[in-house]
Amino acid sequence: MRLSDFLQAEVLDDNDVSIGRVQDVRLIQDGPVIGTWGAAFSIEGLIVSKRGVGARLGFHRSNVKGPLPLKALFEWIFRDARLVEWERIRSIEEGRIRFRGTYEDLKAPDPLSG
Amino acid sequence: MTRAGNRIDAGLGLLDRQILDKDGKDSGNVDDLELFAREEGGAPYVMYILAGPGALARRLRGRAGAWLESAFERLHHSEDPHPARIPFGVVKDIKHSVELSISKRGLDVTTIEDWVRDHFISKIPGAYHDPGGTK
Repeated sequence: MRLSDFLQAEVLDDNDVSIGRVQDVRLIQDGPVIGTWGAAFSIEGLIVSKRGVGARLGFHRSNVKGPLPLKALFEWIFRDARLVEWERIRSIEEGRIRFRGTYEDLKAPDPLSG
Repeated sequence: MTRAGNRIDAGLGLLDRQILDKDGKDSGNVDDLELFAREEGGAPYVMYILAGPGALARRLRGRAGAWLESAFERLHHSEDPHPARIPFGVVKDIKHSVELSISKRGLDVTTIEDWVRDHFISKIPGAYHDPGGTK
């Protein structure tokens, strides 16, 4: 399984309604200890949004202060972003991921610093 | 870097970052990550960094990806070409680049570079000339 299997996959809820595509994958360092690195990163959840423009620019990170108009623009663009926790994932097919619940059950992802 | 405590967004904080070996030498880019499922169930975890055109091809998808994958398979010396896999366990730190605790030698991250050197650069007259005058 590769990270690229998740990125840009369409995400569908319990009613087969698309809530967007995977824009990023949030990792948490809670896996088994590997080598000198320590605890491995495992998947905490998928960051899903219908809008992909600028997702990789990082303006939504908490420690990015500006330029203010761009930060405001990208935060507005990604206002629909939601974190689909790994425990909610029901099935993974090629280019399509289904989860338990609906868009309303999901939380917005916490902005990370970077 | 894109961490808050022990969290990171893989696309933003890892993908396309430069990889530096223990001597600070360029060892490619993070082109993809390979994840392993846990025997006891639960979320899969990152086991390898994949680097090089063989990994990038899959991310590009479409015609560009198919072309890159085909070129990689032709140029790779192995009968079963696969992207370079760097165990995540040898990562020392993640900053603006991904720093390794080992040397790039033996990581198989320079397949295309080696092929170009052996098939083109080495055939250019003077390719082995050392400006320092030792050869």
